[in-house]
Amino acid sequence: MAKFLEYVPGTSFLHRMNPSVKLICAVILAIACFCTTNLAFLALLFVAALALAASCHMMRETVGLCKGVLAFSVILAAVILLTTPRGAQLVPLPWGFIGTGSLLAALTVIIRLMTASIPLFLVFYVTKMSDITNSAVKQLHVPYKYAFTFTSTVHFIPVFMNNMAGIMEAQTARGVEFDGSLVKKVRLMVPLCVPLLVSSVRKTNSAAIAAEVRGFHLRTRDSGFKQYPLAARDYIALAVSVAILVVAIVL
Amino acid sequence: MIEFKNVSASYDGELAVLKDVSFTIRDGDFVAFVGTNGAGKSTTMRLANGLLKPTAGEVLVDGVPTSQLKTSQIARKVGFLFQNPDRQICCNSVREELLFGFQVLGEQGPDAEAQVDEIIARFGFDSDAEPYLLNRGTRQLLALASIIALKPPTVILDEPTTGLDFRECQKVMETVAQLNAQGTTVVMVCHDMEVVGDFACRVIAMTDGRVVADGPTFEVLRNQEVLKRASVIPPQATAVAMGLQQQVPDCPVAVADANTVEQLAEALEGVAAEGGR
Repeated sequence: MAKFLEYVPGTSFLHRMNPSVKLICAVILAIACFCTTNLAFLALLFVAALALAASCHMMRETVGLCKGVLAFSVILAAVILLTTPRGAQLVPLPWGFIGTGSLLAALTVIIRLMTASIPLFLVFYVTKMSDITNSAVKQLHVPYKYAFTFTSTVHFIPVFMNNMAGIMEAQTARGVEFDGSLVKKVRLMVPLCVPLLVSSVRKTNSAAIAAEVRGFHLRTRDSGFKQYPLAARDYIALAVSVAILVVAIVL
Repeated sequence: MIEFKNVSASYDGELAVLKDVSFTIRDGDFVAFVGTNGAGKSTTMRLANGLLKPTAGEVLVDGVPTSQLKTSQIARKVGFLFQNPDRQICCNSVREELLFGFQVLGEQGPDAEAQVDEIIARFGFDSDAEPYLLNRGTRQLLALASIIALKPPTVILDEPTTGLDFRECQKVMETVAQLNAQGTTVVMVCHDMEVVGDFACRVIAMTDGRVVADGPTFEVLRNQEVLKRASVIPPQATAVAMGLQQQVPDCPVAVADANTVEQLAEALEGVAAEGGR
């Protein structure tokens, strides 16, 4: 199983697509998810997103992602369930009720968040960070500084996750028990933010110095020698994504 | 006592990092694990204190399989010093850091305070100092001190001298040697053969997840085949003695068997006194 947001080499359709087009399509699909409240359409998009993941052999990573997003979206869904009295009443509450419409709204939030996140995350699993940066600079005319900042931020997420895992392991070796209630776990993890913050600042500082000494400020749009030509598959993917967005708006 | 019985291990069940490894570390031993990066040394250490559970075989700490114990229970018996002290340090002062281990084990009180005071005096720490502002060597010593303050019968050191200058390295290793002399079992992963030669009594050489040699330090470090398989070189004095043995006809036994600078100097003095050859 690949590490979180780490590029996995391959030759699938998604791997071969232009990096900028991949990013644009992922953003369009995410927007489409937020433009519709049609649960059936969202479910269809969810299945399509899973099919995309399967096509590039990323099902295990995608299932892992969905679990993470589910944990977060369930909290949102609970808030919606308790604060949106809609449809036929099912459970009375002191301040309103939970209705069939509330259930549908909660379910919509869960499916929407999972569906929107899959294409965005897949982009990072099927594209090298350097290709995303260079392609964004060359084709989307994003200033290199901002493109680099964006990809570096994404790149540092798994680095910091590994750091946190290492710190937790070191504390476990000292006798700290992280298993138990959520409150206990949070209480034990708060002091660990100090070493995480210290190592993060040190790493970021080292990365900034390394970039400076390698002539970061000299980079322009023409510095990269690699070209990212658009192929028929890129135009098709763009057309399909825009069509999905239009359908989402119409529905 | 730590026993490995036909232990295999892997991360995420995908790649076998350790393959059928067996050895016993007796109480009071000072064992060094040597070998190339990726040989499985650090994985062996993680298995020894329960951070990783074996996929096959058994790891026993004082006769109890680690699979039946929580890592926190093993922590009382096996202290672990990581290569990077910054992963262990999490408090705002040296004193708090040293007390943290007692708090975790639920052993706060006057006894713990007294032990911390003793450790602070022994290491010469400034008790109110901010740990992250200390230099690398002092941070490593603090991490070591926070472990030995709890007096575990066994201490595991994962590359304890990496990134330290000679003076800091000597300070850390002399502390470890002192602990061993007082009866603490020491297990160390080390790439510096000078340190291994100076301090370890036994060496376990590993390569590709397997043990290729296990024996007294210089027996292993003089075995050419083991050195080649584990990609390690002997300490300089030993290498010179081995070179003289190979290249000088009738090389005196005292010279050929020398393992330290002192032994080699003494043997060469003896040769010179006899009129030289």
